[in-house]
Amino acid sequence: MRHVQRLRPRRSRVRRPSAPQVPETAPIGLTYRFFEPLIPKQNHPEPLVSVIIPAMNEAGKIAAVIAEARAVHPATEVIVVANGCRDHTEMAAERMGAKVLAFADPLGNDVGRSVGAQAAKGQILLFTDSDMVIPSSELKPFVHAVQSGVDVALNDYTGPTDRSLVHRVILAKYTLNSMLGRPDLRGASMTAVPHAISRRALQTIGAEILSVPPKAQAAAVCRELRVEAVHRVEVGRLNPGRAAGGDPLEKLVLGDHLEALAALVAERGVRGGFHDGERRRSMVR
Amino acid sequence: MAVTAGRLAGRRGGAAAAAFGQWLASAALPAGQLFRLLPGVAESFRRGFVRSSGSQIPSPLMPPLAGRPSVVVSACNEAGSLPAVLRELKRLPFHEIIVVVNGSQDGSFAAARSFDGVIVVHIAERLGHDVARGIGAKLSTGDFVLFIDGDMPVSAHLLSAFLVAADRGVDVALNDIMPLLPAFDRQDEVTRCKTFLNRMMGRDDLEANSMTAVPHALSRRAIEMIGYDNLAVPPKAQTLAIRAGLRIQAVQTVDVLSVNRRRTLNRGRDNPVARLIIGDHIEALMEAMKSAGTRLQWGQVSRDEFAIRRNGI
Repeated sequence: MRHVQRLRPRRSRVRRPSAPQVPETAPIGLTYRFFEPLIPKQNHPEPLVSVIIPAMNEAGKIAAVIAEARAVHPATEVIVVANGCRDHTEMAAERMGAKVLAFADPLGNDVGRSVGAQAAKGQILLFTDSDMVIPSSELKPFVHAVQSGVDVALNDYTGPTDRSLVHRVILAKYTLNSMLGRPDLRGASMTAVPHAISRRALQTIGAEILSVPPKAQAAAVCRELRVEAVHRVEVGRLNPGRAAGGDPLEKLVLGDHLEALAALVAERGVRGGFHDGERRRSMVR
Repeated sequence: MAVTAGRLAGRRGGAAAAAFGQWLASAALPAGQLFRLLPGVAESFRRGFVRSSGSQIPSPLMPPLAGRPSVVVSACNEAGSLPAVLRELKRLPFHEIIVVVNGSQDGSFAAARSFDGVIVVHIAERLGHDVARGIGAKLSTGDFVLFIDGDMPVSAHLLSAFLVAADRGVDVALNDIMPLLPAFDRQDEVTRCKTFLNRMMGRDDLEANSMTAVPHALSRRAIEMIGYDNLAVPPKAQTLAIRAGLRIQAVQTVDVLSVNRRRTLNRGRDNPVARLIIGDHIEALMEAMKSAGTRLQWGQVSRDEFAIRRNGI
């Protein structure tokens, strides 16, 4: 079980203030959520925001995750991509009114997001994970950023960088952004959640590419979409390489970054669009 | 320790260099630190030797070299600093000193010519430092070649470590800039690109050390395996050196960063030199991908395992 950093002290993680009074004649079947009367329990028929949540064996957390997700906007649909689940994740998600896409085999978070994005109807697609409960107040800035014209709104978080040698994945994120000509993004990456994209971005880069997030990021930058690091959520999840040596997940993420660089080169040439200075290469053979 | 050894050797008499070489072979200096410690140890030994023998031994003292060292200096409008650079080089036992003066409107050519025994190549147009180094490498005839720029004098003491390293089988002897660098969050883009390339090539131990920085020394074998044309793009040369399994080691720290900081073109965010070097690193990675595939060594995970692990993030 990996460590998930708390976003706030436990006490402040109350989902939202409870309603002051309990109606005496609350209809049966709704009483169990009487304290959240304003949050609809169903997906909005014409959603503005689609929240996409891949989940594998997260029956314990999924309800809380969906509740927070649903609170980001009044017109929200929640899509849970349940994959490889052996518990009751699907049931728990359906009970919370989410649209559930169920797959028997594990897909992986990135493929899950890609699949979920294809089913999304909203103008804004917000991606988060099911293994940590991020309060809706921490999710809203991403939605607001897309509403105000950002195409790809990233989490402005990378992990610990106050040392001389950082984790390879952090280094890869920073370097890819530099090579994309976007050092201002620092280590912000579509590899990390939460992040949100506009429908325009989805149409421009395609839902398929979301399964390799750094490639999606490279495509977004190359197609001149507005990519910005909008808000920092301290998800203490950066380091797949916690187990020392040969972590397959680290390999996966690093390989993804190299694929993104190859895609950049396909788009902008062998130097990624950077100049060759005053070099007279023909002078030396 | 070295002072005492020097004093004893001085009492015995004979040539200081040979005595130092012998002592070095017997003294158990840590192998990984040898080249880093060498200038200090050599100076101590020399002082001890001078004190007991009473003879004048020029510094830096170096153990006898088996191969012939060449040095290539690239200079572009560097008349001001070139004499100081060459004065330091003259203190070392070079087989040849080659100065590639290119695109210079000042007195660089005359400054280089004023030194005896210096081979000066004059090219009217600007070539860029890396191309100039490639031309110098091609003209050189030594067994190993030290590369240095005409704009910053480096003490002969520090340079001696590169020569000894190259003479003792280090194919690519790099400047160890790590002690000069801040923590990652305050590093510049170029430093991060250098580290990224090394780590993607499986050479984490090199950290941010790169052929992009001078001084560095290459063995003839390294130069031939890399190819003269590839020397023009140092990160690409580094990729090829790693791929060829050459012995690459960061041997000694020379502070080039504070000089770089004074150069107007190589300063601040988004400077032209930084963009050139970032482009070089992209080119270098593409070169690596040609033979190892797009994911280099980071792809040997089955798709199923990917899926499971992906969920585990």
